[in-house]
Amino acid sequence: MPDIWQFASVVAKFLLYLGVLGSTGLVLARIVFRRETDPLDTPLRRRAALLGVLALVAGALGFVFKAAVLAGESSGMADPEMLGLLWETPAGTRLLLLGAGVALVLAGLWGGGLNIWIAAAGGLLVLWSFSRVGHVADAGSVWLDAILLLHLGLAAFWIGILSPLRALAAASGRLAEAAALGRRFGRIASVTVPLLIAAGIVMAWRLVGDLAALIASGYGLALLAKVTGVGVLLAAAAANRFRFVPAMERGDGQGAAGLRRSIALEWLAVCAILFITAGLTGLSGPPS
Amino acid sequence: MRRTLLAGFLVFAASAALTHSKIGSTVPAHGAVLAEVPAEIVLTFSKRLRLTRVRMTRGGEAVDLDLSGLKVFAARFAIPVAATGKGLYRIEWRGLATDGHAMRGAFSFRVK
Repeated sequence: MPDIWQFASVVAKFLLYLGVLGSTGLVLARIVFRRETDPLDTPLRRRAALLGVLALVAGALGFVFKAAVLAGESSGMADPEMLGLLWETPAGTRLLLLGAGVALVLAGLWGGGLNIWIAAAGGLLVLWSFSRVGHVADAGSVWLDAILLLHLGLAAFWIGILSPLRALAAASGRLAEAAALGRRFGRIASVTVPLLIAAGIVMAWRLVGDLAALIASGYGLALLAKVTGVGVLLAAAAANRFRFVPAMERGDGQGAAGLRRSIALEWLAVCAILFITAGLTGLSGPPS
Repeated sequence: MRRTLLAGFLVFAASAALTHSKIGSTVPAHGAVLAEVPAEIVLTFSKRLRLTRVRMTRGGEAVDLDLSGLKVFAARFAIPVAATGKGLYRIEWRGLATDGHAMRGAFSFRVK
């Protein structure tokens, strides 16, 4: 049974994922849907910055919690030997890249106009750092690194659209704009979501190996739980595209209410998926 | 809802326990019954790691084993053990893998 510091590490990692993917996703959504999200510019920038700070704090906490795991007690969090040891491994490299990436995100969000591209570069730097450390990095394959970056980028993009879409659907008098954003995202998602899933399947196959290992290992079972969460996400997305958005296009306010409920469900599924992923990458490893 | 969350937590915890706490082999082996306390315990891992703490418990008494000469990344560690008598010994180890993963595990043996 994992001890309290391992669980604390997983919670920190969950918040790190939420912060990184949420922040990067908002930046990507702001770039791709610039016209549709213009009325939300200030709140979206503020939210992206907060999520970036959350990522940085969670990353730092995760680092010291890991030192506590190594020591087996809370004193490890301030133990120079444990912290120094961790710093020399890829865990230190990732913390460094996280700090640099979040700094770029915050700097990019500070100004207007083209600065958003600096924020996007910062977000992508942090996403890339995940491919340098962890089970995928252990596999030592450049193309697998690229697939993970693609997977994370597309996941961030999906997560990033949730807030602006919900905000527009909740605003009075913006039904048509919300519907237009939902319609356009739906069209793009018909390409990006299959890519996201395909990238996930390729990584799972490469890391787990075969179907028997998937069912027999704790890692595989957790991966199946993650797939279940993705199923819920897909069902909600399908309802948005084929039911709620068309209703909103017809001027039906109930469509907007349905979309908001559906997005709330998507957030729940996203949080479940990220928490399971935090456990997969923090506590467990692929079957050897 | 609470039951579902609890069940989910337990499945998650169990699956986690099944995975990253792996060790290649130990001497004595897990569950071994010995006539006398071994002079050292040997931990062998499939990949290199750096041990950060090894705790030996017998009865209600726990002691941290001396790792001062073992502060390196390696796949095999031989750790001296002081003879402390008969009983059930539990060895809990913690370490850092070269990829930055914190790892831990435990095994036990009995001295009759």
